[in-house]
Amino acid sequence: MKTIVSLLILAGLLLLMTESPVCAQNAAGDATVPKDVAAVLNKFCAECHGEQTREAELRLDSLASLEKTARLEVMGKAQEQVAFELMPPQDANQPSAEQRQLVADWFASELRKNNTPTLEDKMRLPNYGNRVDHAKLFSGEVKAKPFTPARRWLVSPQIFTERVFDVLKLDERERAGKRPAGMYGVTNPFTLPERSGVRDYDLTAVDGGHFLVMQTNASWIADRIIGTIRIKLGEPVEKVLENKADRWYPLRGSMGGKAWAFDAFEVLIRKTSPPTQDELFAAIQLQFANALQRPANETELRSYLGLMREVIELGGNTEGLRKMLVAVLLESEFVYRLEFGAGEPDEFGRRMLSPREASYAIAYALGDKGPDATLVKAAQEGRLNSKDDYEREVKRLLADVTSFKGPVDPAYRNEHNDAYISTPHPKLVRFFREFFGYPLSLRVFKDVERSDGLYRVPDRGTNGTPGYLNVEADRVVARIVEADRNVFVSLLTTDEFFVYHNMDNEKGEKLIEGWRKVYETLKDTNWKQDPEQVAKDHAALLQQYVAPGAMKGKGRGVHETDLSRIMTLFEVTFGRGGRPFTTVPWAHGNRFWHSPFYNLPRTPREGEYDRDAAFDYHPVQPFALPHRKGILTHPAWLIAHSQNAATDPIRRGKWIREKLLAGSVPDVPITVDAQIPEHPDKTLRERLATATSKQECWKCHQHMNPLGLAFEMYDDFGRYRTVEQLEHPDNVIAKAKVKYGADTYKTASLITTGRLDGTGDATLDGDVTDALDMIDRLAKSERVRQSIIRHAFRFFLGRNELLSDSQTLINADRAYISSGGSFQAVVVSLLSSESIMYRK
Amino acid sequence: MLTRRAFLHASAALSSGLLLAPWLQTALGAPTTGSAPRRFIFMHKGNGLFPQVMVPPSLNNDDKDKEQRKQAFSVDLKQHELPEWMSPVAEHKSQMTILQGLSGKMCTTGHHTWQSSLGVYKANEALTSIKWATVDFELARMFPSPLEHIELACFPNDGGNARGNINGIEKGFSARGPQQPNYAFGSPKVAMQELFKSVSSNQSDRIQYELERRVLEFTAGNQSGLAAQVSGGERTKVANYVESIDSIRARNKKLEEMGDVIRRNLPQLDAKYLADDLSTTNRQWGHTEILLATLISGMTNVVTFTVDELGTHYTGLKGIENERVNLHDVGHGKGFGSLNADEIRRTVRTQHMALINKIITRLKGVPEADGNMFDNTMLFYFPDNGETHHSTGVEWPFVVFSGRNAKLDIAGRYIRLPYYGEEGHQTLGNWYTTLLNAHGNPIEHYGELDVALEKMKRNQKGPIKQFV
Repeated sequence: MKTIVSLLILAGLLLLMTESPVCAQNAAGDATVPKDVAAVLNKFCAECHGEQTREAELRLDSLASLEKTARLEVMGKAQEQVAFELMPPQDANQPSAEQRQLVADWFASELRKNNTPTLEDKMRLPNYGNRVDHAKLFSGEVKAKPFTPARRWLVSPQIFTERVFDVLKLDERERAGKRPAGMYGVTNPFTLPERSGVRDYDLTAVDGGHFLVMQTNASWIADRIIGTIRIKLGEPVEKVLENKADRWYPLRGSMGGKAWAFDAFEVLIRKTSPPTQDELFAAIQLQFANALQRPANETELRSYLGLMREVIELGGNTEGLRKMLVAVLLESEFVYRLEFGAGEPDEFGRRMLSPREASYAIAYALGDKGPDATLVKAAQEGRLNSKDDYEREVKRLLADVTSFKGPVDPAYRNEHNDAYISTPHPKLVRFFREFFGYPLSLRVFKDVERSDGLYRVPDRGTNGTPGYLNVEADRVVARIVEADRNVFVSLLTTDEFFVYHNMDNEKGEKLIEGWRKVYETLKDTNWKQDPEQVAKDHAALLQQYVAPGAMKGKGRGVHETDLSRIMTLFEVTFGRGGRPFTTVPWAHGNRFWHSPFYNLPRTPREGEYDRDAAFDYHPVQPFALPHRKGILTHPAWLIAHSQNAATDPIRRGKWIREKLLAGSVPDVPITVDAQIPEHPDKTLRERLATATSKQECWKCHQHMNPLGLAFEMYDDFGRYRTVEQLEHPDNVIAKAKVKYGADTYKTASLITTGRLDGTGDATLDGDVTDALDMIDRLAKSERVRQSIIRHAFRFFLGRNELLSDSQTLINADRAYISSGGSFQAVVVSLLSSESIMYRK
Repeated sequence: MLTRRAFLHASAALSSGLLLAPWLQTALGAPTTGSAPRRFIFMHKGNGLFPQVMVPPSLNNDDKDKEQRKQAFSVDLKQHELPEWMSPVAEHKSQMTILQGLSGKMCTTGHHTWQSSLGVYKANEALTSIKWATVDFELARMFPSPLEHIELACFPNDGGNARGNINGIEKGFSARGPQQPNYAFGSPKVAMQELFKSVSSNQSDRIQYELERRVLEFTAGNQSGLAAQVSGGERTKVANYVESIDSIRARNKKLEEMGDVIRRNLPQLDAKYLADDLSTTNRQWGHTEILLATLISGMTNVVTFTVDELGTHYTGLKGIENERVNLHDVGHGKGFGSLNADEIRRTVRTQHMALINKIITRLKGVPEADGNMFDNTMLFYFPDNGETHHSTGVEWPFVVFSGRNAKLDIAGRYIRLPYYGEEGHQTLGNWYTTLLNAHGNPIEHYGELDVALEKMKRNQKGPIKQFV
């Protein structure tokens, strides 16, 4: 397939060749092709792409008509092709490293001259992270000193939320209450891209949309602060906050119990005459402290003073205050983390972060709030100036299991109580959930009927089935991260999973045993014929083991438990060698139906008790599941990396190539209509082969398909399978008999083989029998371990690694090995590295 | 099929400012000869829109039979009577299209639907459910104007969007982009204050406007100074911020420059339309005046108007003026006052048609190029949730009014498209793709796909070819 991209690249090369070696007025305006560059191009490119051969059906006369923008784009692409050794093709003569460099450098200089992004600029983008040579990074031969470019790093959505809380002076209890749903009048202007892998990079710049939202937010926040003061001064809430749906204001209910935080503002509102300069300064300083966490300098004070005086003259004291509050919130500093370094540069031109900057860098790496009191003190006392200082503080914070404790994702709290997913260091778990990307399961729409009525699509107020699965995947990750031993291997190979674990082990076990006692005692009684009498005879037993108050004598509500109901449940579970789930099927809001996605029997549902094998709930979790190994076999991950109605070997393979093998796969060329053809009699594997076996497709697909196809042992709901249903309208054997039921299709035998390559270890690379075989090999791979560390670097540093970060990565890798696979050791190593300490 | 490259090139051309001229012409009061801007009005209602009430009563037996069986057919409206409730727009019959047979199962359906009907995805109150800019914003960006887009809403009193302040500025039914809800003006009063403050004669509004201007100026000055101190990529981060502020200031400046035009077209609203406790129908009339003023003055080319929502408690309905009509109850068959549920539904729709008549008639009265403003306008009337109160999205009826220069060849027809699942069936996504393609955005397909149609192996991408 002749893609436009390759066409343009060739076009660019040819253009340069044909006009070289003479001076050419080409794409870049007045660019001249130097003789030595032209010589390389002529020698290595002309054979296939000369005027006579016209590879890619290229005509030189049409190339000349390319607009400057298009030509620069060609040069950009060509620079990549040359630098990454994608051209010339592998079977052609190759230029030397020096020759490649020469050509790539020339492209770069032309691009730079025209203010066009060069490869160096692109290398900062997330999808270029793996372009830094892996072997070189970990070879130890790179001696350049690590640093992070001086930068503004846009705050994450979570940090933004905490900054708003800071301005409104909320305590931890109030913050916890507000985090899940946010505040009525504040829209988070920042969202992270939805993708597997690290999402929060330091590249984002605020745009017009952000600013508009910030304006609205700032007005609302200023209204709350002023409203709070007016209410304190005696005005009725209804008058101050007219919108009855939005009457929350800070310090409500704790006005007497907590220190009043807005004194300097209150002074201005109380006063009927123009405020003094000192009063205005005090108000400005208070808002700077609340919003920017620093005092205003002299210039800023004067500037804001001018603004306030002008506004006060026109609109009065309260308006003066309001506009100042808004203006500070509109400072770009409010939405950026500033990391520029301070003091004299060292011999390598690097400046160390100021102690204050360092305190924020550390705090935001491990949480979403600013530095705690100890960090602030360390910064103030100049004790954040060395690797030891950083290490001391990072270790201290990691050892603190209470300050950061909370849900991994507060958005799930409405559906799952927060204890369910609470962990001492949510940020560490957040890295792995982003790395694996399983939360994307929320974004893959599934047809309920294909799931046989089991899958609940995320909808209003619910994250549906993928929400439950994500929480269960979070729990697997959190448990391994908390244990902090052999973390990477465990994440990839554990066979222990959580399914429906909504009660702690001890409590759940006790409940099930109590229920069993009830069942054993009553099973031979006359409970079916005379339940009321049996209930009466065994009132004490029932009272003790079945939820008190739930045994209603008269009538029965939809969600109420009575003897017949619960004994029927026990009969189909205990009576068949299983155990019931700790939440009864008729309980209000019980939507735990997804056990079949783990290949477990259906949760018993009234009216359907005989539909499936006996359900056996495990009150003590995690527990071992067959046919599963680690997160890549978790239904959440498998759904996240699937299509709407089929698996997705390409996406699964790409993920492994990029995230575990530190490899790269180019984006789909823009002219490729990436569709897998339909065919009633062929499996997805066969249809995929039809679509991708052509040489020009296979060039990229060879890096994905063999990895992803091993996962064909799971379907797109994450169910282990031994045959593939050929879901085509022509293949329906039996229509569903129940509403939302699945049709039955013809099946085909399943091939689950694949091939692993790219570990750099000949004992691991090779054909694999299935995903489990592949996962075992991946878990043993040094490359995989280092690839995860590279991603951790990106997560905590907010950028791609540079070659000069080599020592940092090697140290983090060593820390992991020497600590027996502690992820915390990796974090300590990264956060006390020269990469984080220095700016240039 | 258009490639992404072609799309990018087309988008670049559209955003390059080449099309800025028309509004500027309007702003400067110059004769609007040559290419006039395209205008779009999206008016959506709650509680569903029954497909059966859309059908001309004068169909012959053969067509009636097709309609009954939901088979595709099309008739010329000139040869037919309109349903009674459409009588207020009878005069515009030749510019009208009754479009039946679209589906929207890829949207949130049922009671409340948020941005679904304009975005073609399953939106709900969680911002994360907003997947991309709604179609009205896509069009607004193709036909730039100082305010880009205006959204007016008769917010619900309970349930659904923007619970709470129906008189305020709240999250609306349109979206600017992924996870970015638009904000809508809930009352004519707040819309007047905010949209026309630059030309307000009210002293306090003038002061507020001046103070806001001052803050923007101050912030722009601060940040410009900051940008001057840094370079490279870091400069971009601050410079973008400065540009954002500057663009708002520039927009305000443009509006100030348009002061005469805006003043000439200022909504003439009696006190009753500016009251806080105005009736629903007065709110609608008031919003209609705002809508007309912003379009005619050139402040925007796209207005989205939530004419009601399921949670609206209607007041002022003809014949039951003193009743407070809960639309949700009407959806469940409850009558109010002397009217039963069907009669109330009819009264509500008739009221909507009266509003539309006012809009079209007024636009027809404003000269533009060699004709009038309506020549370059399309108005869409449709439900926010599909075919009924507890809808499933199997049908999504539309009434479309399009002026002389419309890009679609559909005017003056009753069109029933193939029913859901049948060969040739079309979805909301196809419909909006048609609109976007016809106006120069070559997107391959706008909106989510319908998984069930996918399962039936129906091709559901691309425009409705016979309309273009």
